[in-house]
Amino acid sequence: MAKNVLLVDDSSTMRKIISRSLRQAGLDFGEIYEAGDGQEALVMLEKESIDIVLSDINMPNMNGIEFLREKANRPAIKDIPVFMISTETGEDIIGEAKSLGAIGALKKPFTPDKVNEVLGPFI
Amino acid sequence: MNSCIELSDKLIESTIEIFTGMVMMEISVAPGPMPKLGPLRKSITGMVGLAGIHKGVLAVHFPYQVATAVTSNFLGMEVEEINDDVQDAIGEIANMLGGNLKTILSDRGKDIQLSLPSTIYGDEYSLASQADVDQIILPFQTPVGIFYVEVELER
Repeated sequence: MAKNVLLVDDSSTMRKIISRSLRQAGLDFGEIYEAGDGQEALVMLEKESIDIVLSDINMPNMNGIEFLREKANRPAIKDIPVFMISTETGEDIIGEAKSLGAIGALKKPFTPDKVNEVLGPFI
Repeated sequence: MNSCIELSDKLIESTIEIFTGMVMMEISVAPGPMPKLGPLRKSITGMVGLAGIHKGVLAVHFPYQVATAVTSNFLGMEVEEINDDVQDAIGEIANMLGGNLKTILSDRGKDIQLSLPSTIYGDEYSLASQADVDQIILPFQTPVGIFYVEVELER
């Protein structure tokens, strides 16, 4: 069954680009939901039926690391997988994201082929 | 790092990667010596700040016609004036380049912090640095005009 995806990025441009790249990559997904920061993402996760989250790290209000930490404390949503898509791909920050439950990371900039290669196994 | 030449080479590589891979626009380094930027006219600038072991700013400067063409390509829809989409797109280009610059300057990443991107635009404006800095300005040729990538790092 096609998975519903939540895109979390403060840039509306980047949400559009990721959404377009998912389509161009030929991945079979269901609904695409959008959130502008970690706080909005938490609300969305508790409201909608979402199967996987693709999240930026560097965001206002609640960044990607804070989002992972807060999500881990909420039993109803803590097991929904999160994949990081960010310019922040230093090993320390990605290591911290993974220690908080992130299942992988994709570096911006990316191409649809890269999206397919990296995200395909999860979507 | 790192000599200015090595840093310039990696910034050129990063900028071309972003434009060919995500903006879907072919660009090349404009020939000639490193330009000096005077007041920017009818332009938009996206900026991110760096703090930590390297302090400074990365900025991208686009004349309006280049910014709208870049945003149109980036979003896959026609954009004719400077609006929220253009500001967001130019900010995101600065953000991606800033992320790459951070990785160029520090492999581990955590010892440099990147600010959120910001943009300014107008009929005429200038940017000035208070600190003693090393400066790199790289001009890039697009099908519709030239834009600039500028990095200033405190010595």
